[in-house]
Amino acid sequence: MTVTNLRWMALIISFLVLILGGLIGLDLGGFLPVYACPYVGQTRGGVCFLFRLQFILGVGSWEAFKALGEHLLYFSILVVLIGRAWCGWICPFGFLQDVLDLIRRKLHIGYIRFPERLRANLRCIKWIFFFIALLIPLWVAYPLLAPSVAGDLRQPFCQLCPGKYILPLIIGNPDSVAVDFKSATTITMTILGLTFSTIAIIGALLKRRFWCPYCPMGLLLSWYKKISFIKLKKDCQKCTMCEVCYNVCPVEIQQVFKERENEDVTFTDCTLCLRCVEYCPEDGALRATFLGKTIYKSTSKGFFSRQHIIPGVTDDQVIR
Amino acid sequence: MNESTNEQIDEILMNKEADQLQKRKARFARGLVRSAETTLAELEENPDLPESMHYFINIMREVFVKDRAHRLLLPSQNQSANNRKIIGTYCLMVPEELIYAAGATPVRLCGGNYEASLAGDELVPRDTCPVVKASIGFTSLNLMSLYQMCDAVIVPTTCDAKRKMGEELSKFTEVWMLEVPHIKDSEGSRRQWLQQLYALKNNIEKFTGKSFIRRKIRRKALDASIKMIGSAQYQARRLYDIRKSSAAIISGRDAMFAINAYSYDTAFKWTKAMTRLNDELEVRCHKGQFICSEHTPRILIAGSPPIFPNWKIPSLIEEMGAVIVADESCMGNRYLYDPIGLTEKSVTDMMVGIAARYIMPCVCPSFAPNEDRLFRLLQMAEEFSIDGIIYHVLKGCVIYDFELIRVEKIMKGKNIPVLRIETDYSPEDIEQLRTRIEAFVEMLGIRKER
Ligand code: SF4
Ligand code: SF4
Ligand code: SF4
Ligand code: SF4
Repeated sequence: MTVTNLRWMALIISFLVLILGGLIGLDLGGFLPVYACPYVGQTRGGVCFLFRLQFILGVGSWEAFKALGEHLLYFSILVVLIGRAWCGWICPFGFLQDVLDLIRRKLHIGYIRFPERLRANLRCIKWIFFFIALLIPLWVAYPLLAPSVAGDLRQPFCQLCPGKYILPLIIGNPDSVAVDFKSATTITMTILGLTFSTIAIIGALLKRRFWCPYCPMGLLLSWYKKISFIKLKKDCQKCTMCEVCYNVCPVEIQQVFKERENEDVTFTDCTLCLRCVEYCPEDGALRATFLGKTIYKSTSKGFFSRQHIIPGVTDDQVIR
Repeated sequence: MNESTNEQIDEILMNKEADQLQKRKARFARGLVRSAETTLAELEENPDLPESMHYFINIMREVFVKDRAHRLLLPSQNQSANNRKIIGTYCLMVPEELIYAAGATPVRLCGGNYEASLAGDELVPRDTCPVVKASIGFTSLNLMSLYQMCDAVIVPTTCDAKRKMGEELSKFTEVWMLEVPHIKDSEGSRRQWLQQLYALKNNIEKFTGKSFIRRKIRRKALDASIKMIGSAQYQARRLYDIRKSSAAIISGRDAMFAINAYSYDTAFKWTKAMTRLNDELEVRCHKGQFICSEHTPRILIAGSPPIFPNWKIPSLIEEMGAVIVADESCMGNRYLYDPIGLTEKSVTDMMVGIAARYIMPCVCPSFAPNEDRLFRLLQMAEEFSIDGIIYHVLKGCVIYDFELIRVEKIMKGKNIPVLRIETDYSPEDIEQLRTRIEAFVEMLGIRKER
């Protein structure tokens, strides 16, 4: 079993649990650090933390804030436990993007790579989304200004989030992909949301993990990277700067191969998919650790087997 | 004097010149055969020579002694195989994958012969390095059919000498310059390098096509050639690993020679031969058939590449009782070390992978900054348990010499002595070098005993 296959399995199972788990009565709570979107309806197996966050802020009462504290605590525990592996291994929307990516690969169409400048400029998007999710609900709770607009802005980020439109559609619920004509505010928000969804789908067909660098959830998760138990580590002397890890990385993290001093190479956008570890051709140059213990490391043999040059080496021999 | 006598005189002079040229060429050619054969015979005399080494020795003999490179590169007698284009390459930044994928054969032309360097002497400035002198000598005088066989030659713009060499060579043959960026870190230069490779791909497609029809490099062909060279790299890495054993199983002379032979062979055949050699060496390892004891000083050759038939330095080191377990030269360990990593089979991904492989991990000193090389050397010193480094500087190779100071400094930190040897292809300084290397090896031996 290779790590890629393991990851696919985890993604598929999580998708089924989070999107269809409700069918067998599963409810994993409202603090999940992934797009477990409640808009899919009764079949959901858990609720996205961003939804709860906006909901609770929107209520604005003291009780609500206490509940928020509790949710935040559970959320933090989950994130500290496996860091952004939630993104690489569990998120249903991540899974969806990976499926679109697989389609692109099967068609042998190349991927697009944004220039560094553009990437840097786009970095602000997730912050904008984050503040939308944080500040507008407060306005909803205390509508001192234009209360009618505020009233229609419940869960403002959700109205923009592609998860809300695409995930329900996948399980055959087309109601979600409609403009909400209730008011001018809802019309604007749903149109924007549908636009983002279309961009996200087309984007994910052309660029690996297109949405993740703009996802506010990803931003939240990345704040835990220093204290989370899973880490990506590099032995700078063994690294040959071959750039392979950059080319295989779905979110195109350059710093991993450029790092020359520090051992810790878990960077902000890293989804801990471990693809770089799988494909690094140097023995022990990259590894993943859990609480400091190596759980997986790169090998030259593993590299050549993945390039189909030598018969398959399974990762069971490597994981230890 | 009337016009006809003038012409007659001109003709006589020209004949005389041509005659002299012929004589000179014959003299050089004899010298070349002699020096190549001497080195080959020396290798063959070695009682520990692995059986499978004969394949590689044979390749070099065909090319340098018998002058029958066409047998290696155009093996089949049928017409289509002989229409195969042969493309000469210099340095190791030319992606052979593209050449193979277009149905052509690459052959690496960097010259390592003394006589050829003499022949090139008058065409280049005095301080040019012997690699460039020899390469120009080979091409200008047609000393070997190998150089004539190439339908085109690709010269990457690495060091100053190689760059100007490209210009000089274009007097004799079709030359394509390949612009290699000298700064790897910047995104712009990497993008430009990728564009260069796309342009090269285009050129090759046009060149291998018939009249106006391009012969497109297909996705599958590119994938296959990447895999073929990947297999060669896998075998080269196996040899590399075998050389790490605490008592050597193969002499450095032989190992470097086998890798060097890749220049003149097709990747597929070479890989088969290399697999045999590795298998044989692994058996020897199990049987405990070592060529020397664990106490033999282990040497790393750093710096300018020793290129066959200039086997002067490797031979001297091992004759003096040390063993070369690694080298970092572009004709040795570095030649086939870094593979292409792909996760998908789109042409885009393959081109990106190729572009990365040929410059990013390359620690040729023509790149600046070149910190990576220091990391690589430290890693090698550790992996191969190196006792001492012989830093080979070919006269005129400024960039390798430049980095000596840094290398010496970091190796001082690791307590590994470095000996700088400056030389060219001429046999004159052998005795003097022998004394210095002998002293160095002796010193290493004493340090190791302690
Ligand atoms: S719409 Fe997006 S942010 Fe809102 S609950 Fe669904 S997945 Fe989470
Ligand atoms: S960053 Fe990507 S994988 Fe992570 S939660 Fe957001 S959409 Fe999902
Ligand atoms: S850096 Fe490695 S683990 Fe992180 S996203 Fe990129 S490939 Fe995956
Ligand atoms: S793939 Fe491995 S060796 Fe290559 S640059 Fe990345 S960490 Fe370094």
